Amino acid sequence: MSFDYFNMIIRPMLEGTKVTLLLFAIVIVFSLPLGFLITLLARSRFKIVSWLANGYIFVIRGTPLLLQLLIICFGLPMIPGIGEYLVLPRFTAACIGFVLNYAAYFAEIFRGGLLAIDKGQYEAAQVLGMNRWQTLRVIIIPQMIRVTLPPISNEAITLVKDTSLLYAVAVPELLHFAQTAVNRDFTIVPYFFAGLIYLIITFFLTIVLKRLEQKYQFE
Amino acid sequence: MAFIEISGLKKSFGNQVVLKNISFSVEKNEVVAIIGPSGSGKSTLLRSMVQLETVDAGSVAIDGEYFIKDGRYADSKTVKSLMTKIGMVFQQFHLFPHLTVRENLEIAPRIVKKEDASIVARKSEELLKKVGLLDKSDAYPGKLSGGQKQRVAIARALMMEPEIMLFDEPTSALDPELTGEVLQVMRALVKEQMTMLVVTHEMEFAREVADRVIFMDGGEIVEMGRPLTIFTNPRHERTKLFLKRVV
Ligand SMILES: Nc1ncnc2c1ncn2[C@@H]1O[C@H](COP(=O)(O)OP(=O)(O)O)[C@@H](O)[C@H]1O
Ligand SMILES: [Mg+2]
Repeated sequence: MSFDYFNMIIRPMLEGTKVTLLLFAIVIVFSLPLGFLITLLARSRFKIVSWLANGYIFVIRGTPLLLQLLIICFGLPMIPGIGEYLVLPRFTAACIGFVLNYAAYFAEIFRGGLLAIDKGQYEAAQVLGMNRWQTLRVIIIPQMIRVTLPPISNEAITLVKDTSLLYAVAVPELLHFAQTAVNRDFTIVPYFFAGLIYLIITFFLTIVLKRLEQKYQFE
Repeated sequence: MAFIEISGLKKSFGNQVVLKNISFSVEKNEVVAIIGPSGSGKSTLLRSMVQLETVDAGSVAIDGEYFIKDGRYADSKTVKSLMTKIGMVFQQFHLFPHLTVRENLEIAPRIVKKEDASIVARKSEELLKKVGLLDKSDAYPGKLSGGQKQRVAIARALMMEPEIMLFDEPTSALDPELTGEVLQVMRALVKEQMTMLVVTHEMEFAREVADRVIFMDGGEIVEMGRPLTIFTNPRHERTKLFLKRVV
């Protein structure tokens, strides 16, 4: 393999990597808070609200992400009457699909995290005069993060690899450019490059997450 | 009207009556020890005074202001201002594990009272010195012994400058050799004329520091009086039985 060939295929693949990383960042930034919100709704005193939130988690976790992406990208625009208003730029649609999906998983993780926090923490905060929001913000959420960081890290690593599902809804990303090169040049080298790039991403991500976990050890 | 005035307090969990008809009052600077077998409603009584439990009936007034009147709670502003007068220490400490000792002390004054950082820092240093844990300022609670944790919890409550301190079995979760350091901090508070309600199994301590002892059993106050009377000459059979078992 010549250096020229490497140069030729690596450029579009790095372009694709940008899309992959952009999707990753968007999903993390939006699905974590959304997931936490869903957790709070699932714990609501109002039966209908908690029922809806739990139903949401159940449906999203019980169906394939790929199916959800196909529905958002191709299914919604086919609904008679309103479909034409639901045509979004493909990348935007995919982002929405990923965020909605990961939020459900994070919601489930946060639910477990909140259950792990002793009732005495809420009581101590209340007796010290903190209101609900203050308690949540300075007492509960930081402790919940500590408990949930390991499973969240797992999901984040999975997300890196799940971004390749963009391929199925025809958003050009890393895997797409690798596949193009494979088809065109009849060599599997681009696959290896793609794999290598995913590995590099997950490697650095793992380091960052381990640091975060250490920071949240409270020792 | 006394500093703390409690009358006709009733509380049930489901169909289990836990507080039957509790009435007593506490004067300012008074130290009241509450003793009684487990399950007699002592914790529920203290918890009701800081709204950790909602009572079914009765009244609680603090410093002349009704917190609960005939089973009805005052408006949230009054409740909130009354609650700031009361500090509470739990059997299980309930320190915030993600905050250092110093942060445990400073968090509430900072965000609840919006006090100035430098003032809060001065206060926390002073209190940590008082409970003998200044050298642990930057430690996380996970690194402390039970006795140290409870001393931090007391200091944390004092940061809010309460006029009344409630203690719910502050030494019951501790190894016997660690109870002394906590009781010593409490003795210092007694000396400073803090108004205190202390649920305890430390009969020695109760006898020594309490102005009055309340004996509870089965959700009611069976007997109430000066420590000497309660401990050496109890009138009721239930009190005698209980004391025979614990002493
Ligand atoms: N949250 C609760 N739900 C149901 N029952 C409770 C609850 N808290 C306390 N109880 C019951 O109320 C009774 C009195 O409890 P408690 O006030 O903790 O007693 P003590 O502190 O004197 O041991 C016990 O029988 C206990 O089981
Ligand atoms: Mg108790």
